[in-house]
Amino acid sequence: MEFSKRKVIIVGAGFTGIQLARTLISDGVDVTLIDSDEERVRLSRNLLDCEVVEAEGTSPEVLKDAGVASASALVALTDVDEVNMVVCSIVGAAHPDVLTVARVRTDFYYSKAADGTTGLRIPGIDLALNPDVASAEAISSAIAHGAVGNIIELGGGFGIVSVQVGEGSVLDGLHLRDLPSLPGWRSLVAYVESASGASLPSGDTSMAAGDRVGILCPVADIADVFRLAAASDSSPLRRIVVLGAGTVGSMVADRQRPSRRTSFIASFLGKGSDDGREVVLVDSDEGLCREAAERFDDVRVLCGDMTDADFILEERLAECDLLVAASGNLDRNLMISAYMKSRGVRKAIALTESSDFDDVARKLGVDVAVPMRDSVVDAIVSHLRGRNVKAVHTVCNRNFEIVECDVASGSRVAGKALREISRPGEYLLLLIRRPGGDTFELPHGDTVVEEGSRVALVVRAGDRRVVGLFGGKA
Amino acid sequence: MSFSAIRMLSAIVGMVAASLLLPLAAAIRYGEHRAAMAFAIPMCASWLVTALLWRRRGGEARPLDVARAFRIVGGAWVAMSLFGALPLYFSGVFPSFTDAVFESVSGFSTTGASVLDDVESIPRSVNLWRCLTHWLGGMGVIMLVVALVPLLGSGGFKLMKAETTGPEKSKVTARVAATAKALWLIYAGFTLVETLLLRAAGMGWFDAVCHSFSTLGTGGFSTRNASVGGFGNVCVEIVVTVFMVVASVNFALYFRLVSGRVRDILRDSELRSFIVILLVTVGLVTIFNVADGATPASSLRVSAFQVASILSTTGFGTSDYTLWRPVAQLLVFALFLIGGCSGSTGGGIKVIRWTVLSKQLNREFRRLLHPREVSTLRINGQPGREEFVPIVASFIFAYLLLVFATAFFGALAGLDLVGAFTGAFSMVGNIGPAFGALGPSANYGFLPAPLKWWYCFAMLAGRLEIYTMLFLVGALAKRARFVVQYRRRGRWTAAARRTRQ
Repeated sequence: MEFSKRKVIIVGAGFTGIQLARTLISDGVDVTLIDSDEERVRLSRNLLDCEVVEAEGTSPEVLKDAGVASASALVALTDVDEVNMVVCSIVGAAHPDVLTVARVRTDFYYSKAADGTTGLRIPGIDLALNPDVASAEAISSAIAHGAVGNIIELGGGFGIVSVQVGEGSVLDGLHLRDLPSLPGWRSLVAYVESASGASLPSGDTSMAAGDRVGILCPVADIADVFRLAAASDSSPLRRIVVLGAGTVGSMVADRQRPSRRTSFIASFLGKGSDDGREVVLVDSDEGLCREAAERFDDVRVLCGDMTDADFILEERLAECDLLVAASGNLDRNLMISAYMKSRGVRKAIALTESSDFDDVARKLGVDVAVPMRDSVVDAIVSHLRGRNVKAVHTVCNRNFEIVECDVASGSRVAGKALREISRPGEYLLLLIRRPGGDTFELPHGDTVVEEGSRVALVVRAGDRRVVGLFGGKA
Repeated sequence: MSFSAIRMLSAIVGMVAASLLLPLAAAIRYGEHRAAMAFAIPMCASWLVTALLWRRRGGEARPLDVARAFRIVGGAWVAMSLFGALPLYFSGVFPSFTDAVFESVSGFSTTGASVLDDVESIPRSVNLWRCLTHWLGGMGVIMLVVALVPLLGSGGFKLMKAETTGPEKSKVTARVAATAKALWLIYAGFTLVETLLLRAAGMGWFDAVCHSFSTLGTGGFSTRNASVGGFGNVCVEIVVTVFMVVASVNFALYFRLVSGRVRDILRDSELRSFIVILLVTVGLVTIFNVADGATPASSLRVSAFQVASILSTTGFGTSDYTLWRPVAQLLVFALFLIGGCSGSTGGGIKVIRWTVLSKQLNREFRRLLHPREVSTLRINGQPGREEFVPIVASFIFAYLLLVFATAFFGALAGLDLVGAFTGAFSMVGNIGPAFGALGPSANYGFLPAPLKWWYCFAMLAGRLEIYTMLFLVGALAKRARFVVQYRRRGRWTAAARRTRQ
């Protein structure tokens, strides 16, 4: 496959760099990793089957030696935003046909364009990624839907929610083919993860208590779906404690703080009304606390250590509806979420390193684990997979991928009904949008896949064949 | 004082002397010959001295350090007050020079406490000068000098800072001269508008001009013995009430209004508090006066005027508030403690300082309930203004110390507790009338001369927000000690030289 002949240069061998390299290598891509840190280079050489260069990534000479001229993409993932931007600019100027991707976390580099989209407008950088914003948005979206599980929002108002089937719930012991008989059921099961392993479901698959299922449903129905699956309470989340006043924590607090109605008189007198929501921001760093206090008028900012029992008692932190552990210390987030759940917090969301921790999070009783780094890898991989691939989301402990792509002209599946091309257990067509249409719909057996349709598929991770079938050659 | 400092003072006094042209013209127009001479002679003398001092080269302005800026501003205010007393004294209206100085200080500091029993019988030009001192002192003579003459150079901002009121001093434009010009233009504009409105309301031109000067400077001198009440005109009272409120708002806000920054005005913490205080007090006092038998309309008329008059530290009267029921009097006394906004022409402790302290109290409550909470103090929507708290607390402490010292001297001179205490607040807060023996229907003429001099100090200290005058007194005391020591040492060295020979 043409894709496998591609070459990608990654500058910066940090956690994300290595994770991206690993994903690409398993895709058959020729990867060159550049980092100036001796320790990291040694580590990467041991971990990865690719060329690792110990040098400054900003040097045009080094980039030339790494073969940037023949590369299809360059990804800059060092810890310094400015370095990432400079590397991309250098390469973008000399080789305009190389796709350049920079990780840029600083807000003010992004600006709003006339068409309302926010982006980095620096010549030479084709794609800028901000994992902090992506994580904060994922957390906010999870909170908006009641913190019931990870939610991936697809187009057309549909989302995939990952829920655990509760003991005695309606889904417990149900066969998938019986699902449409449930009243008001407008959903589709995308994948099932049981004790015996993860699988793409067919009509015969049955669900049992303790299984993890990914359900595709309209975003508005997520709370209902979750109630069916898990039979848990869905009272509103009023008191929210956010741990971590860093970038992600602040962004979450900013999005969750009480909405104020501001009339002229009220704003003049400094009075406003809110919706009974209370947001508490906790960090142990005095400086970050001060910054947050100055930024937010209506968020209570506490400076303390979440593992300090006195502190939790003093501020009644255990009595909150939701804990969002979004500190920079990603390993500790899980631990504190689990600890607070044990102290009586109703729901907990933890920002984790990657989706490798999903399992652990579930076992610890953390309701939602939002992986920090996956969004970067997903975004880059989707860009590298070819023109027709619009987005890739890794789900279910990296067992599956949800791929959004356009059906290429001349694709073998074009013009055929779904019944003819379906391969149970290999892939599942989740959503389809007709060419030129603007709404997604759930497909059925007679749905004809037309050229130029946008489809969302769930496939086994790393399965290039199915994506090639729909999206054609990259 | 160095030569350059004296030159600077002479320029500032020369500016005040130039303003004597207005009452001089009035004296000639009204045929008041003695008064005309009383204005002309000090004016010419001042110009002569200024011209002589500025003729000589050399004595280039030294870079202005902070201590010198304080001394120059304090010295300038003392000098202009003494100078302003000269025409008053020469006009023969005032029995003694002490009385003339008291009247002049009361004028420049915008206090409005008079030693005169009958202001209707004195020459009209003298009355015009009394009101003009309010107008000059209200926005500040030094700011006027900075606006018109470039002689102060970059040191102008330091001098203006020592003269304008409030804990935070900022320029509304990037350049200090432009700031001073803009503020004075706004000030003059308001004065013109009020004069026209008063004329339209039925006042004569002369009274309209005098009362506009007096209102915009938040002074309180009037051309009638019964103050504004003497006109018995509702429209006049409404216009004066509105402009007293206008004058006690930060003039920088009008600048923002003119330049279209309405958002800044809406989020101004001080203005919000000021309006709340004004409305609540007017409402309560109106209710209490209705309870005493007044009709709602007349009660509102009297109460709004009197509350605005005291809160703005003007001191005009249409009614004797010491005859109101005690609770209404108490509310009026509470206003003695508050005063106008910073950057206005009003006196007192200033609304912003109480706003800062009340916000700090709120923080303190939160700190007690949530010991580990990190909070910030917002002023005008800006976070991180905790730094104001100690500054404001120290100022209020110094202010109260001065008030107590002033009350002590009042009591020492034989005033009763109420008179001495409220009189002290009235002097330091630049209000004018007080309670008891110094109530709105009385005057300050009967006080013994030493107390009048102390009151002069208290009024100037209040106008310049305490520190400037304290530094001036401190510097003078140091100088005096130095001179004494120098003389002694001189004598000793002379004796040593003799023995050596």
